[in-house]
Amino acid sequence: MILIPCPWCGSRDAGEFAYGGEPTPRPDPRTATREQWRGYLYLRNNVAGWTTERWYHRMGCRRYLTVQRNTVTNEVRQP
Amino acid sequence: MKRQTRRLDRQPGEVIDRGSPLEFGWNGRSYPAYAGDTIASALAACGERVFSRSFKYHRRRGLLTASYTDPGCIVQVGDEPNVRGAHRLVTPGMDVRSQDTWPSLAFDVKAANELVGRFLPAGFYYKTFIRPRPLWPTYERVLRRFSHGGVVSPDPLSPELSSYDKRQVHPDVLVAGGGPAGMTAAVAAARAGARVMLVEEEHSLGGHLRWGDKADLAALHDLRSLLAASGVEVLTNSVVFGRYDHNHVAIVQRGLPHVYERLVKARAKTLVVSPGLIERPYVFAGNDVPGVMLSTAVRRLINLYAVKPGDRAVVLTANPQGDAAVVDLERAGVEVAHVVDARGGDDLVRVLGRGGVKGVELVGGHRIECDLVVTAVGWTAPLTLLTMAGTVAAYDSRAARYFPGTATLPDDVLPAGGVVGDGTLDELVAHADAVGREAARRAGSMSRREPAAEIPALPVDAHPELFHGPTHGIVDFSEDVSSRDLLTAVEEGYSSAELAKRYTTATMGPTQGKLESVNVVAIIAEATGRTISQTGTTTWRPPYAPVTLGALAGRHREPVRYSPMHPWHERHGAAPLVAGAWIRPDHYGDPAGEVLAVRERVGIIDVTPIGKLDLRGPDVPKLLNLLYVNRWSKLEVGRVRYGVMCAEDGVVLDDGVTGRLGDQHYLMSTTSSGAASVWEWVESWLQTEHPGWQVHVTPVTTSYASINVAGPRSRELLGRVVAEIDLTPQAFPYMHVRTGRVAGVDGCVLWRIGFTGELSFELHVPASYGLHVWETLLDSGNDLGVRAFGIEAQRILRLEKGHLIVGQDTDGLTQAFSAGLDGLIRLDKDDFVGRSELVWQAEAAAESRLVGLHPNDASVVPEEGSQLIEAGVICGRVTSSRWSPTLHRSICLAQVATEFAEPGTLVTVRLPDGRSVPATVTEHLASVDPEGARLRG
Amino acid sequence: MAETGVVARSPIAPAAPEIILAGWAVSARRSGAALTVTDCTPLTKVAIKAAPVGATAERLEVPFGRVSRQTWTLGDRDCSVMVVGSGPGEWLVLGPPGSQVSLIHQLSALAGDGDLVAVVDLSHGRALVRLTGSWAAEVLAKETAMDLGDSVCPDGAAFRSAVAGLAADVIRDDRDGTRSYLVGCERSSGQYLFDSLLESGAEFGIEVDGFVPPDI
Repeated sequence: MILIPCPWCGSRDAGEFAYGGEPTPRPDPRTATREQWRGYLYLRNNVAGWTTERWYHRMGCRRYLTVQRNTVTNEVRQP
Repeated sequence: MKRQTRRLDRQPGEVIDRGSPLEFGWNGRSYPAYAGDTIASALAACGERVFSRSFKYHRRRGLLTASYTDPGCIVQVGDEPNVRGAHRLVTPGMDVRSQDTWPSLAFDVKAANELVGRFLPAGFYYKTFIRPRPLWPTYERVLRRFSHGGVVSPDPLSPELSSYDKRQVHPDVLVAGGGPAGMTAAVAAARAGARVMLVEEEHSLGGHLRWGDKADLAALHDLRSLLAASGVEVLTNSVVFGRYDHNHVAIVQRGLPHVYERLVKARAKTLVVSPGLIERPYVFAGNDVPGVMLSTAVRRLINLYAVKPGDRAVVLTANPQGDAAVVDLERAGVEVAHVVDARGGDDLVRVLGRGGVKGVELVGGHRIECDLVVTAVGWTAPLTLLTMAGTVAAYDSRAARYFPGTATLPDDVLPAGGVVGDGTLDELVAHADAVGREAARRAGSMSRREPAAEIPALPVDAHPELFHGPTHGIVDFSEDVSSRDLLTAVEEGYSSAELAKRYTTATMGPTQGKLESVNVVAIIAEATGRTISQTGTTTWRPPYAPVTLGALAGRHREPVRYSPMHPWHERHGAAPLVAGAWIRPDHYGDPAGEVLAVRERVGIIDVTPIGKLDLRGPDVPKLLNLLYVNRWSKLEVGRVRYGVMCAEDGVVLDDGVTGRLGDQHYLMSTTSSGAASVWEWVESWLQTEHPGWQVHVTPVTTSYASINVAGPRSRELLGRVVAEIDLTPQAFPYMHVRTGRVAGVDGCVLWRIGFTGELSFELHVPASYGLHVWETLLDSGNDLGVRAFGIEAQRILRLEKGHLIVGQDTDGLTQAFSAGLDGLIRLDKDDFVGRSELVWQAEAAAESRLVGLHPNDASVVPEEGSQLIEAGVICGRVTSSRWSPTLHRSICLAQVATEFAEPGTLVTVRLPDGRSVPATVTEHLASVDPEGARLRG
Repeated sequence: MAETGVVARSPIAPAAPEIILAGWAVSARRSGAALTVTDCTPLTKVAIKAAPVGATAERLEVPFGRVSRQTWTLGDRDCSVMVVGSGPGEWLVLGPPGSQVSLIHQLSALAGDGDLVAVVDLSHGRALVRLTGSWAAEVLAKETAMDLGDSVCPDGAAFRSAVAGLAADVIRDDRDGTRSYLVGCERSSGQYLFDSLLESGAEFGIEVDGFVPPDI
């Protein structure tokens, strides 16, 4: 099990967290086109390499946090 | 009883305790042994040489390595199959039996396989049993009888065998392997200030020093003293079986007093891998005949267990360890008839004898009589843990073995000992000492300014490349794969190591390649005209050693949740309903009666699992407006409102009511199953989208015991236990909230809502008093006919009322309009979660709608999930269905295509049994009191 | 909250014999075993939420991950209370049974100017168990992946992590030099947590010891 560096609690087992995936900015709902909205809902980069991810520390501080993870090697670091 | 005819006089390094004699059983006969004996050493001391039958040909098998990896003595101990007989210590009264032999070890009918061996070539099973396909079940039954392995008792296992445990540890430095290198590295790391754990597969530390000479034993004594003083935690009879990301290391610990096995999960800052070297068998004809052993096996037998392994031996040696075995044999009184020195190009052609060694044939046809053949032809480096960490094994033809490619190792993994190189004991110790200090430094146990430890290079001794002799023999002793099988595989085109492995099953048996993988690769390399490096190895994956499923599963424990009223439910015969982690009362034996009690009198139900969030702050209205599809800005203090949440794709996420308890104080309720996810959802919007909003969220689901009091006489019942709250319809109307004292308990929250469709009050009581309030309500309402009702009755009641359940009447694709929530959705709000999608959906019109449905035959209750079919096309499904005790007919909710959603439309329901029945779409979702008069009364 | 005459019940069934102390049904069992587990649910538990950095945080004086024992005047008597830095901008205050009214009163008064503070009584919403004995860390190490070593989790440390698969608050609170942990979880899982610790502690001879108020 990999470790996730929580800025509040320190490194913890990934099992304590909920995976939130790549953070996608929410388009302005008043002006967003359908294409923009679908992109926000469904399109992700799915990089092989360093990626930025959101995790929620469900079993710990209950904070949402951002982590950089290499999807090939599972190296992690705080952004 | 048998006698220990082959037991030697006391040996200097022996591990048996002659002061503790004991007896155990082998195939029903009693055998003597000493404490410290393994099953195999005790049997060998009594002259036994055959311990099992081989996998495919059922040939007799004896000791080969006399260690954990020995493929020849895997046995059944009581209820426990597949026990490593050369590793498991004997205990008094232990019942040991040979596995998978019938009718006996001495006469095994399946040995007929041996006679037809030429009909069992490589890939035999694939070739023979693949066609005709319909015969597979028959083949399977026959093959299973011939398969290998012990017997698992169908009865529940004894507590000793079924008790597993887990432990989590955080060593700075974890050392895998307790030979001289591992012991030294552990001591060095501990002295540098690290918390160290040392794990050894065998029952004692010291590795090969244990069967060495006087100097070796003296060095071992010194190392043990240093270790004892170092504070290192030592786990013997334990094995590191996996190394995972971020140095998560899995260890199985055996032989504990209270549990059968314990899974130790270590999060190590640095891992030192020092498994030593494993001796390689030699491939030649007859190499699996009982009496053919490796040099380390005879040295273990003589020096550790004081067992004379034979009377007359021929030794094939290519290294100093083989030479030392000759010395040990002679000292033990074994006549060494001939030494074949492979370094001079000499060789063995074949072993003579079938049930046991009778002699050998040398090059040139010369035969020598003997009962023991010892081979010392080289070493295999067990690199498994290192390759799990990412290293790529590199073959060195000069040393005739693999080494770890250090360039590919992560910083937090360091190898030590024989896997790195050779050299004198002093050189190995100096190297391991530096590795231990560096491991501690990398673990952060020393000051960061401390320079990296200079790790000296270890010399690598030259060793002849000896894999097989001039004849064919067994390569994989566990799977009965011969060198001839490998050649067949190559001829048939399976020329890569990975393919030949799968085709022949070589390296796939219980020894998992530890003994045979280098020989497999060497033979394939030779057959394909490539080098060993070009051929490549098979991939080593976890586990390094076999692990029981029990150890992986650990103790069976799943979090469960109970309401404060659970003891009452149990006492009153509630049928338990498992809902997530909650154990809830489904019914008390008569759900229909419970429904009628609510419709006609009054009932109470335990709804504690309903999610509750305490919301405080000036920006709560903004939050509610964002999360619910309906409008929330004007909720007055003392009011509650029903709301529905959608996700950003417009799909219904959850529903519930939220009440305003004070100026800046709200209580939000969610569905029971959504309690945790809605809380996370709320936090996500607050933390990531609106961090500036002033709102504090505290989950209080289990702070309150929640009781719904429902039915026409609920006001009367509640009036008897509430003193200070005016319950009259004028003072406490529908969709209002009050706080106060109930049955003597302060701090209760009451809201007037009605999931059941009846006049009802939902009480939220400080949980420690929940049982008291529950019992008080029942006691106080005897004359009113009060009755507890369960989830099943509630589901019927709400279905009669046409209230949807999120997740039952909606699914992961149901958008809010399809759920019939048109009246609730306020697209004129600036923004709410899911609004954009709902705007577009409103333009496009929903593809399906939630409707009420009555089967025309009132007695038919279509199963939930039954499909609606028109003109051969699926046009919907039944989402909820029950027999209504109130209406004496079946009632349903269904999702139907919009064109069939008009009231009065006739649709066809296809039942699971294949029948089709007509049903009519009703005017309202509700079948009982669609106007809501009862609710508002 | 003055719940006149009504007995409060913990989610953990008291080991027989049962007695009423401080308005709670508790176990009268007394154990001198080297490893004990006690249901401390009757303790008052109040949660505070405020900005992680701000006037309220300053007044509480306890950082996230630490515990402070203080003497507060509750009503007309001096009481020992424990202030736990249980999360970022989140505190848990433990006091003697039945002290929630005065605790909430004091804590509400503590709110810093302009700082939004939520004070929520969780006395009935959390189960609290104390595990005491030199083997306490070994027992807990079966249930949590947290490093319980002195360098990471010394006396006076607090953390929230998975314990027996539950999100739990753990407080290292040694008693007279003996290892002791308070473990808190959602009330509904209290019995499960208690049973898990009893099972994990079985090999060390764990016994149930009854709650004696104020026991803080």
